[in-house]
Amino acid sequence: MNPKPWWAKLGHGSLMLLATVYCLFPIYFMLVQSLKTPEEDVFGNPLFVANPTLQNFEELFERKSEVRGFVGDALLRPHPFFVWFANTLFVFAGSVVATLGVSVAAAYALGRLRPPGFRWWRRAIFAAYVIPQTILFIPLYQVMITLELDDNLLALLLIYPSMALPFCVWMLSAYFQHLSREIEEAALIEGASRATAFFRIILPMSRPVLVAAGIFTLGTVASDFMIASVFLLTPVNQTITAGLGTFDVALDELAAVAGVNLLAIPVVLFSAFFARGYVRGLTAAMVEGA
Amino acid sequence: MRVTSKRTQRQRDIRTAYLLLAPTVLLLLTVLAYPLGWEVWASFTNLSPLQEQAAFVGLENYRRQFEDPQFWKATAVTILYAAVTSVAKLALGLGFALLLVRPFRGRALVFLAIFLPWVYPAGVSVIGWYWSLNPPIATAYSIFLGQLKYSVDSVFGGGAWAFGSVMLFNIWRGSSFIGVLLLAGINAIPPELFECAVLESKNPWRRFRLVTVPLLKPLFALGVFLSLTTAFADLANVWMLTAGRIVFPVIGTHAYWLAIKAGQFGPASALSLTLVPFLLGVLLVLFRIFDPVERDAA
Repeated sequence: MNPKPWWAKLGHGSLMLLATVYCLFPIYFMLVQSLKTPEEDVFGNPLFVANPTLQNFEELFERKSEVRGFVGDALLRPHPFFVWFANTLFVFAGSVVATLGVSVAAAYALGRLRPPGFRWWRRAIFAAYVIPQTILFIPLYQVMITLELDDNLLALLLIYPSMALPFCVWMLSAYFQHLSREIEEAALIEGASRATAFFRIILPMSRPVLVAAGIFTLGTVASDFMIASVFLLTPVNQTITAGLGTFDVALDELAAVAGVNLLAIPVVLFSAFFARGYVRGLTAAMVEGA
Repeated sequence: MRVTSKRTQRQRDIRTAYLLLAPTVLLLLTVLAYPLGWEVWASFTNLSPLQEQAAFVGLENYRRQFEDPQFWKATAVTILYAAVTSVAKLALGLGFALLLVRPFRGRALVFLAIFLPWVYPAGVSVIGWYWSLNPPIATAYSIFLGQLKYSVDSVFGGGAWAFGSVMLFNIWRGSSFIGVLLLAGINAIPPELFECAVLESKNPWRRFRLVTVPLLKPLFALGVFLSLTTAFADLANVWMLTAGRIVFPVIGTHAYWLAIKAGQFGPASALSLTLVPFLLGVLLVLFRIFDPVERDAA
């Protein structure tokens, strides 16, 4: 092909820049605010931070400064941020593991064992997305009380997988279905059981798709606000999401934005690490076996 | 002899399959099917936490709902919300995917930037968005954003700024997801197809229309569906970004308001179920497009 003319390069470059700025600006903006002192928040430039400080982050763990100078002790509410952080980690990791386990089992059944009507099974599972979550939490709360899981992190571990499961089952079963039959057959003829063939051959080769399913689950779980705030009541049982939702708008603005970032940083780093794998896995689910 | 062993093997496989499906089914029954059943039942009663007994009222909730101008307003806003965000997300997502298809210097970084809005935990970032767009006290950007807000509101009416910010947030996050999905889809197209296409036609637009678009159709369908369901069921984002001061109610927020603020579980259930048949219809049509195809017909 001919080398591109300069204007095509320029156009391409500026589109890149535009896309990057559009995607990153809100994140950048939140990061900048969280690094500001209260003085700079009021008098500084909104787009830059001249004297970055971690005091907002510190404040999440330990209330040291007087809030805006003159408010009394009553409003100096310490946040159990370490506990929230640990809870969040537990819920996120637990949901990802649970979702992957349950959906791999179902996807293997639908994609490889193919019980009668497997297509409709898969469609029925995917159709779960039709049900609006809107006020579903009212009956869900009854379920959780029956199971004695109200105000308990395990409630989230039960609800979150149901939000990511349909997509994961869909993707994984499409992948398993596209794998050619011979892959397992060799092992089966050698006398290995289906389980051995699955754990030794199929599972290792489907790593990219598992990564994709895991990242999808993490993204879905991290996007929830409603469920976490409804089901977790006492501060020691809350996740960061639920805890930040209770912050006071006027007093805790900077600390809350700092909290947002504190949760975002590990999630973002983790996802960025797997970003390429995510695309590769999605692609694999669409073509593998061709 | 071989025939019977094959048949028992098949039967065993089917039994294993049901066993493996059991956790999924159990989970969905507890967390979705039971609550859905409750909601359907509640929609036929006047159930309320404010009274002792719930009486069966038949289709009364639905009948009254269709006479309620608030319902039609919420429906119109929901449809507008879903349509605008879906179109914008697909367009931007396709743009992102096409930008990233061909290798160039710094592609990995641009890809990461485009991937981040979806990954950035929305459950909390919505809080950050709210406080950035509706700054609390005198922050350095309060005046600028305040002026922006009032100029938008004065043109489109009160609440327009808040509603616009909801759409913006939805699009920002969704276009990232759809962009990556479509990128994966384009990567899945065998390169030979593009090479053939280059030989067939010199016009890149024609190639795009005749090769890329048809092959991406399943992913467009998937993207549209996921985008519609998130928009129709959206409650938390709208609630958070408007701080509950909702001038433009969507069906989700209106149902929440009916249930929690007004204590009318019956009408609220009826309302949130209204869109289910519609979404189910859309899904049944779209299944024809994005169902995984059978490749090895052995």
